[in-house]
Amino acid sequence: MRDVTFGQYYPVDSPVHKCDPRTKILFLILYIVAVFSAKNFFGLGACAFAFLIITLCSSVPIGSIFRSVRGVVFLLLFTAILNLFFYSGGEPLVKWGIIEISKEGIYYTVFLAARLILLVMGSSLLTLTTTPVSLTDGIESLLYPLKLVRFPVHELALIMSIALRFIPILSDETARIMNAQRARGADFETGGIIKRVKAVVPVLIPLLISAFRRADELGDAMDARCYSGSKVRTKYKKLRFGWRDAFACLFGVALLTAVLLFRAYFAHVV
Amino acid sequence: MTEIYEEAVKFENVRFSYEGKGDGVSATEETESDGFFDGEGFALRGVSLSVKKGEFVALLGHNGSGKSTLARLINGLLFPTSGKITVLGREVTDDKNIFEIRRRVGLVFQNPDNQTVASIVEDDIAFGPENVGVPRKEIGERIEFALNAVGMSKFRYATPARLSGGQKQRIAIAGVLALKPEIMILDESTAMLDPRGRREVVEVVKRLNEEEGITVLLITHFPEEALLADRAIVMNKGEVVMEGRPEEILGRSEDLRSFRLLPPRPLRICEQLRAGGLEIADCFGAETLATEIASALSHAAEKPQEVGAGVRLSENETEQNDTVTGDLGEILCENLSYVYNPNSPFSTHALSGVDLNVGAGEFFGIIGHTGSGKSTFVQHLNALIKLPTAQKKYKAKKPKKGEAPLPATRLTVGGFDLTDKTTDFKALRSKVGMVFQYPEYQLFAETVFDDVAFGLKNFAKEPLTDEQTAEAVKEALSTVGLDYAEVKNRSPFELSGGQRRRVAIAGVIVTKPEILVLDEPAAGLDPLGKEEIMKLLHKIHKDWCKTVIIVSHDMDEIAENCTRAAVFSAGKVVRACSPKALFSAPEQLISLGLDIPFTAKVTEELEKRGVKAQSDFTSGDFVRSVLALFGELPAGGEASHA
Repeated sequence: MRDVTFGQYYPVDSPVHKCDPRTKILFLILYIVAVFSAKNFFGLGACAFAFLIITLCSSVPIGSIFRSVRGVVFLLLFTAILNLFFYSGGEPLVKWGIIEISKEGIYYTVFLAARLILLVMGSSLLTLTTTPVSLTDGIESLLYPLKLVRFPVHELALIMSIALRFIPILSDETARIMNAQRARGADFETGGIIKRVKAVVPVLIPLLISAFRRADELGDAMDARCYSGSKVRTKYKKLRFGWRDAFACLFGVALLTAVLLFRAYFAHVV
Repeated sequence: MTEIYEEAVKFENVRFSYEGKGDGVSATEETESDGFFDGEGFALRGVSLSVKKGEFVALLGHNGSGKSTLARLINGLLFPTSGKITVLGREVTDDKNIFEIRRRVGLVFQNPDNQTVASIVEDDIAFGPENVGVPRKEIGERIEFALNAVGMSKFRYATPARLSGGQKQRIAIAGVLALKPEIMILDESTAMLDPRGRREVVEVVKRLNEEEGITVLLITHFPEEALLADRAIVMNKGEVVMEGRPEEILGRSEDLRSFRLLPPRPLRICEQLRAGGLEIADCFGAETLATEIASALSHAAEKPQEVGAGVRLSENETEQNDTVTGDLGEILCENLSYVYNPNSPFSTHALSGVDLNVGAGEFFGIIGHTGSGKSTFVQHLNALIKLPTAQKKYKAKKPKKGEAPLPATRLTVGGFDLTDKTTDFKALRSKVGMVFQYPEYQLFAETVFDDVAFGLKNFAKEPLTDEQTAEAVKEALSTVGLDYAEVKNRSPFELSGGQRRRVAIAGVIVTKPEILVLDEPAAGLDPLGKEEIMKLLHKIHKDWCKTVIIVSHDMDEIAENCTRAAVFSAGKVVRACSPKALFSAPEQLISLGLDIPFTAKVTEELEKRGVKAQSDFTSGDFVRSVLALFGELPAGGEASHA
């Protein structure tokens, strides 16, 4: 964790990195809708194609993206096995008790797995190309209309931004406290679950106390800098919507249209 | 609105008590906890003072003197119990004025980490102006102005987490500056910084006062920082006890000491010289002191006087050799490298081939900039960072054909081979004690006793009896200067900051480690506290732990205390020798951007004036060697020096 803007942000300069975070969030939403609307491999193929193009534009090595799939591999296997064994209908190729595997079952399992992989890789591409800070800005801006129904958009954004600011500080502090206790013979690595949970308590106490202390001081510092959350507040940072963003949105709409067309004109998976 | 007032800040008989005001106590706990609250619980007891517009005032005081309370009263974070406070012609107690006062009075706090709200410098500086509704375009201009004023323009898009303490604090000042305040208060803003960071901050503040005409109230426990001010005020136990020109205030060292303030080092050296019989005026800088000494020397040469009679440097004192005596192999490190986040875009070489030997019995210093690798190195010493070859899953790789084998890494500490995975790392850790930065924040147990006993119980091979535990804890606590009976059942969180640090040290030495490593043991303490901690470490070195290693940014600390020191730079040890050798050829340190101790600066200045004063750069030896110069003068006034 040390010295890393946490999360998975991959720092290179690319057209995708330069896009407005709102565009990327909107595009991701369009993409997710498209992936879910796809009912056959043509549709999924279109999504995969779009995904590949963006990945190529983003200069993020494909390996980093695959790494994100690793996290859901268990879920993937679990659903795949369930689908494979319990898909009913179609002609069984193998039959063993209540378990039967059909050709359609295999087909469907592969389809669902592909869908899940595309979803995960698409979302991780967003976090790989967008810093947490600009992601927060994007979310704040997109949520802005909710202000009309008195949703505390600004406060929420400030909370997120402060949280982002303090994550590296607190994670450093956690590491230091744990090191201090390891140096005094504490053992976090071995033993059963109860022993390990017990070992964590001495870490949590100073960490919590420190977090409260920091919160207190930060509150004072914010007060001293005239924070009141009032209406006079202006905002310095303005997100810019450029030609790149317009193009990306068009691309997203085109993708969704293509998928919907495939869905209407070609057969479903099974 | 025409504003007719001369005083920027005016206190009239202000009293303040934290009692019955749950709010705010915790906020100042840090600064006030050293804890004085008298019977009535007043943190301020009838304070009257005024600060003129455009003035630069330094407010000195020991922890608990009430100086931080004063800062919070000025911009309405706290309200006085009684008395009247007027800020820029407005009464603070009037709620209507608060917002306006806060806009005009910038307050910079102690901890550089706890006053930034955003993860990007420019966003953080924009926070203040945004709050008061400055139009967007102007915010941009203000950010530029503020960053320029603190000399941080290059860092507009940087992440605060990656800046040094001094830089972070300058960003915090810029954040306040963007509100265009008329008064700026710095509430111990230098306390947590290293000497270099402190200098950066104080210089910026001085410039703001001179160039922008901002009224400055600098609250500090470092008396030397008062020198830049127009006026110094000293507080003690909630009262103003001294007031006047900084030079005059700092010169009254007896009084300062009685208020638990330590006069600046140059003054202490002048005092020692006077005690040796040398008539010398108070000096605050290396140059002036060197000039004084040189002129005293030429006077003495003309008219011999009784200075430094009998002071002679004995031969073995001047001849301090550079090699270590005794067993060299207490810590033996060869070719140690370490990479953070390998195989990722963030990978950084923290160590790239460290070679270092530390002998048993040494008081060893480690110096270097933040990021020079010293902390990473220190964490290797008790295997908090394990070498790849010592990790469980390590398997020796076969060297590829045609590839030169990498030079082998060696690391043995106190007889343990740290490159071997079969080493008993628990036994190692009980032999190598480690005290981290601000160890008082790592205390966790319900009572002081339990906290100190934590390591003892963890390391015990067989469960200890209650008597054995109590005996060891008692011994450790009394070694760090705490009264066992008084503190053992108290919560560590009830103690003062200084006491907590002692408890934390006791918790490490309780297992009687042979090697004790401390990462900036004196960080954040006031000068007197620093001195006390170093005294404590010498005591521990004498009675408990054979070898002591300290990481420090303070060169005076290194010069005064260490037998040898290693200089880290860019993941390597670039020099390892005695402070004497290190500071008598200071070019290398200066080229690395590191400081040199005050005594070395004076020695250098003296040399420019043709006076050679050889010392090992501890202030005691320095004073001796200067006095010896007088003793060596040939009687009869045949001056031979230039």
